[in-house]
Amino acid sequence: MADAYNVLEVRGIHTFIGQFHILEGVTVVVPRGSITVLLGRNGAGKTTTLKSIMGLTPPSQGSITLEGQSLVGRRAFTIAQMGVGYVPEHRAIFRDLTVRENLVIAQRKGDDLERRADFIFELFPDLKRFYSLPGGNLSGGQQQMLAVARALVPENRLLLIDEPSEGLAPVIIEHLIEAIRKLAAQTTVLLVEQNFRVASILADRYVIIDDGRSVVSGQMQDLIHDEALVQRYLGVA
Amino acid sequence: MQSTRSLPRWRRVFQSNRLYLAVLMFLVVFPHLVGWITGDSPFGVGGRPRGQSVFWQSVFIEVFILAILTMSYNLIFGFTGVISFGHALFFGLGGYILGLVLQMTDLGPEIGLVIGGVIGVAICGLLGFLMGLVSLRLRGVYFAIFTLAIAEMFFIYIGRWPLTNAEDGFALNNIPELLNSTRNRLTYYYLALVLVVLTFLFIRRLINSPTGKVLLAIRENENRAQAIGYNTLTFKLVAITLAGMMAAGAGMLHVILNKKVGPETLGLTYTVDPLLMTIIGGVGTHAGPLIGTAGLHLSERVFNREFIIGSTTINIGQNWSLILGIVFIVVVLVFPQGVVGTWARWRQRRRAARAPTEGGDV
Repeated sequence: MADAYNVLEVRGIHTFIGQFHILEGVTVVVPRGSITVLLGRNGAGKTTTLKSIMGLTPPSQGSITLEGQSLVGRRAFTIAQMGVGYVPEHRAIFRDLTVRENLVIAQRKGDDLERRADFIFELFPDLKRFYSLPGGNLSGGQQQMLAVARALVPENRLLLIDEPSEGLAPVIIEHLIEAIRKLAAQTTVLLVEQNFRVASILADRYVIIDDGRSVVSGQMQDLIHDEALVQRYLGVA
Repeated sequence: MQSTRSLPRWRRVFQSNRLYLAVLMFLVVFPHLVGWITGDSPFGVGGRPRGQSVFWQSVFIEVFILAILTMSYNLIFGFTGVISFGHALFFGLGGYILGLVLQMTDLGPEIGLVIGGVIGVAICGLLGFLMGLVSLRLRGVYFAIFTLAIAEMFFIYIGRWPLTNAEDGFALNNIPELLNSTRNRLTYYYLALVLVVLTFLFIRRLINSPTGKVLLAIRENENRAQAIGYNTLTFKLVAITLAGMMAAGAGMLHVILNKKVGPETLGLTYTVDPLLMTIIGGVGTHAGPLIGTAGLHLSERVFNREFIIGSTTINIGQNWSLILGIVFIVVVLVFPQGVVGTWARWRQRRRAARAPTEGGDV
C-alpha cells in the first residue's frame, strides 16, 4: 500500500527499449519534501528510470505511484498534467522559441506565469535579461537554467531532473545547486546526478542503480561516509 | 533613434510588415503596370483574354494557388515537423468535389460554388483528421509512407472512375460569371491574391498563438512537448486538418482557373512541388513558401524554353527537371534552411552578437 509520507513510489519496475532489457527491477521511494538522487555508473539505467516514471519508456512490470495514484499505463502528457515536472538531460529546451515562449508554453490551466515569474527570476536572473531571445542563443548554463525554470512554471508535486550539472562550468554549477536547493523548499525532487560532489551537497537520500537494478538506498550522509560503497558502485573515492 | 516600443501600435505593425506591404502593393498594381509598359490592357485585347498583362496575370494566379498549397504544406511539414507525401490528395479532392457539385447537380453556378466549396473543404478537413487519427501515432517515414499510399490509392481509383471520365477528367463550365477566368481574369487575379494574403495571415496568427508555439515545440522534440503536458496527437491533428482544408481551397481555385478537373491534380507532382518550394524557400518560415513558390514557378515560366544565342540553340526546357534537381541539391547542401531560413539565421546571429542587455516585459 502507498505510504502517504512518500510522494513517489517505484517498485520493481522492468523496462525494455526495443529488445533490450534496460531496467531489471528498480525500486525508488521519494519522501515528500526531499531531494532524492539516483546514482550509478554510465548506462546503469538512471535516465531510463526517470523516463519510465514519466511514461516515455513505459515499464512492462512493476508499479509506479504518485501520491497513491498509479502512473503505469498513462501517457507522458497525462503524467505531466498530474503534477510531475521533467527536466531532461542535455539542456532540453525548445531552441527556436524565445525564453518567454519556453516559459509560457509550460503553463497549464490555472497557472499564472506572472505570479511564478518573481520566484523564477529570483532563482535565475539571467533569464529575465534574455527574455526575448531565442533559447538557442543562450549559453549552455543559461539553457540548463531555462530547462529547470520551465519545470517550475506549473506548481508540480514532483520534479524529475536529469543530470543538471552535465557539461557546465563550476561557477554555473554552484549557481544551479543554490537554485535547486531553493526550489526544493517548494516541491519534492528526484535527481539524476553523475557528479558525486553535487549529489552529496544537494541530496537527502540516495538510490544506487547498477546494471538496471536498484542495489542500495538510504540517507545521503551515510553514503558520504561509506567510502567502500562509493568506490564499489560509483568508482569515486 | 526612436525605440519601436514607443510608437503607436499601427505604426509598429506597419514597420514590422513594410516589406510584405511593399510586395502586396506591387502585386496590386502589377497587372496595370504590365499593361502600362506593354500597352496591352489588363482587361484583355479586343474583348478577349490576350496580351502581356493577361498572360502575366495567369502566371501569377498560378503562383498564388501554388503558394496557398505550399503554405498549407509548410504548416504540417515546416511548423509541426510532420512529413507527408500525400498532400496532393487534398488539393485534387477539393477540386473534384467542387467540380462534381458544379457540373453534376442542378444547383446553379453561384449556389453550387458555395455549397461545393463548403463540402469540399469540410470533407478534406475530415479526411485529414481521419488520416491523422489513424496514422499520426506513426512517426517519421512510416507516416509519410502511409499518406503516400492513401493519396496514390485515390489517384488510381479516381483515374479509373467512370463518373468523372476516368483519366480524361471533365470540363468545368458551370462556374459563376464573375470567376470565369477567360472573361474576368483580373477579378480572378485579385480574388487569388486576397486568398493568398488571408492564408498567410491566418497561418502567421496561428503560429504566433499558444497553439502555434506547441506546434513548434512538437517540431523540435515531440517527447519533450509531451513531457510538459501536451497531448501532441491533438495538436498534430489540428495542423493536418487545417492544412487539408487550405490545400482543398487551393485545388478549387486551380480547377476554376483551368476549367477542368482531372486526376493529375491528385498526382505526386502536387506533393513534391510544395515540398521542394518549401525547402528552397525556407522550411518553417512564413515567407519561405511564398519565395520558394514564386522563385520556382516564375523561373520555370521564364527559362523553360529554347534560347537561341547566335547560331546555338540551348533548350533549357528539355533539361528543366535536371536543373531543378541540381538547384535542390545545392540548396540542401549549402543552404539547408532555404533562402529565408538562411537570411533569418544570419540576422539572428548578428543581433545576438550585439548582445542585448535589457530585459523584456514579463
